[in-house]
Parts: sequence; C-alpha cells; structure tokens
Amino acid sequence: MAADIAFFENALQFIGAFVAFSIAVVAYKGVRETSSSSMLRLAAAFVFLGTGFVLQGLYGTGSLNSIPGLEFSVATLLLVGMLLQTAGYFFLAFSHVVDVLLSRRVGTLLVLFPIFALSQTSIETVLRSLSFYFILYGVIETALAYSKNKNPNTLMIALGLGLLAAGWWVSLVAPDVALLTLLQLLMKEVGLVALFVPVLRFSFRRPGDLHAPV
Amino acid sequence: MPQYRTQGRIIADILATARDMNTDGQGVGITTLLRRGNVSYTRMSKLIVDLVGAGLLLQEILEKNSRYRISDKGVRFLEAYSQFDEFAQSFGLKL
Repeated sequence: MAADIAFFENALQFIGAFVAFSIAVVAYKGVRETSSSSMLRLAAAFVFLGTGFVLQGLYGTGSLNSIPGLEFSVATLLLVGMLLQTAGYFFLAFSHVVDVLLSRRVGTLLVLFPIFALSQTSIETVLRSLSFYFILYGVIETALAYSKNKNPNTLMIALGLGLLAAGWWVSLVAPDVALLTLLQLLMKEVGLVALFVPVLRFSFRRPGDLHAPV
Repeated sequence: MPQYRTQGRIIADILATARDMNTDGQGVGITTLLRRGNVSYTRMSKLIVDLVGAGLLLQEILEKNSRYRISDKGVRFLEAYSQFDEFAQSFGLKL
C-alpha cells in the first residue's frame, strides 16, 4: 500500500511538471506576443513550479541517489524543489497582489495574512505552510475574478487551485495517515487536471476563434 | 470603484478604435482616438508615436491632418492580445 502511494505520488509530481511547463510555455508565448508583465509572472510561476515538481519527482523515484557524488546532497535538492514550488506559488499569488494593489483593493490581502504563524521549526513545514497560504490567496482572488467575469475557465482554475490548496492542507494537518495521503494526492491530481483545461482550450482554438472583440 | 486599465489594454483599445472606426477607409483622426481611448492628449500623442514607430498604426497626412489606420501587424497584435487576454482571465489576471 505504502509503495503504491509513493508511486502515485511520484507520478503526480511528473504530471504536475507537465501541466506546469505547458502553462509556462503558453504564458511565455504571451510575453513574446504582448510584452505583458502578467504573462511574465505567470510564466515564471509555472517554470518554478514545474522545476520543483521535477526535483521532487526525481527525489521520490530515487533517481538522484544513483548519480555518483550526488548522494549527500539529495536532501538539499528536495528542499530546493520545495523552495522552487513555494517560489512558484508566490509568483502566482504575487500576480494577484500586483493586480490588487493597482486596483487599490488590499482588503483580502491584509485579512488573509498570515493564517499560519510560522510556529513550526521544520523548514519543510514552513515551506508547505507558505505554499498553502499562497495557493489559498490565489484561490480567493481567482474566485473573486470569476464573480466579475463569469468566465468558465476562471471557475475551472479557481476549482483547480482550490483542490490543490485542500490537498496541501490535508498534507499539513495529517502528513502520515495513509488514507488521507491518498485523498490529498487525488485532490492535487484533479486540481492539476483542472489547471490544464485552459491550456487545452488555448491549444485547440481554431484561427477563426481569435477575432474576439477587444 | 474605478476600473484600472493596463498599458496593453490601452494600446489594444486604441488599435481597436483605429480598426473599427475607419468606416470610410481614410483612417481616423486623433480626436476619435482620444474620445474612444479615454487618455489625455499628451499621453495619446506619445502612444501614437510609439505605435506608429512599432508599425502597429499607419499614419497618413490628409489635408494637413494626420489620419491613422491599423496595420496588418496591428491586426495580428489585436488577435494575439484577445487570445492571451482570455488566457490571463482564466487565471483571474489582467493582461
């Protein structure tokens, strides 16, 4: 059972990397086409997230242990992976923060910060807490955006981020319960698939669909 | 609450005005761009210089007045803008 969960968790890391890099590629195209700083932040967020997923996936499969001379720094690499993921979630939240500051709507930012006082001594737990906070902030801002634009894609992203946040929360409160581990992995899996939907819609758009009114 | 517009959105609005209001095929004047673009004259003048320099707008002089038409490059920019704007909106962001 534990081995199955570990396999599922590793698979999830690589699926996460695929989704993150796919979003980063589209966002980078957006940077090139429109020189948008929002797209740049989105691309940076998902490059960080994707790299973090890859490092954690490699750690999980034990691939890194087989590389000569790297054995002693595997734990550090895991930490770097988590740090990159936290940085990715930070950039995702930061995109909203910039938007919030520009529109002078700082209420949600102030109310939410900080839900998690950094009482845990473990760096890993601190990073998990920060990641959870950043995702949660992203969920709230995306849900607020949906309440304004009623775009189904926005709802999909909000749901996806919400499931990721729920998964992170479960992993924070019950890190060692097997059944809950499976539950949080499932939440993250479905959340990642939901994040991928706008990329699919973007990729399979026909040229005739591009003439939306500006 | 006032709706904040990004620089990209302002540029897209100007280009869309040049595209949509050019009904007689002779381009649009700066007054039309100002009215629809909703920016100050000083800022609009600078933006127009930038857009013409970037090849997104075409400038023609008709009876001593400057007229502006969207270029093919400008049309492509608008298409890309609307495409990526929707993508950014999916994440609850503004382009």
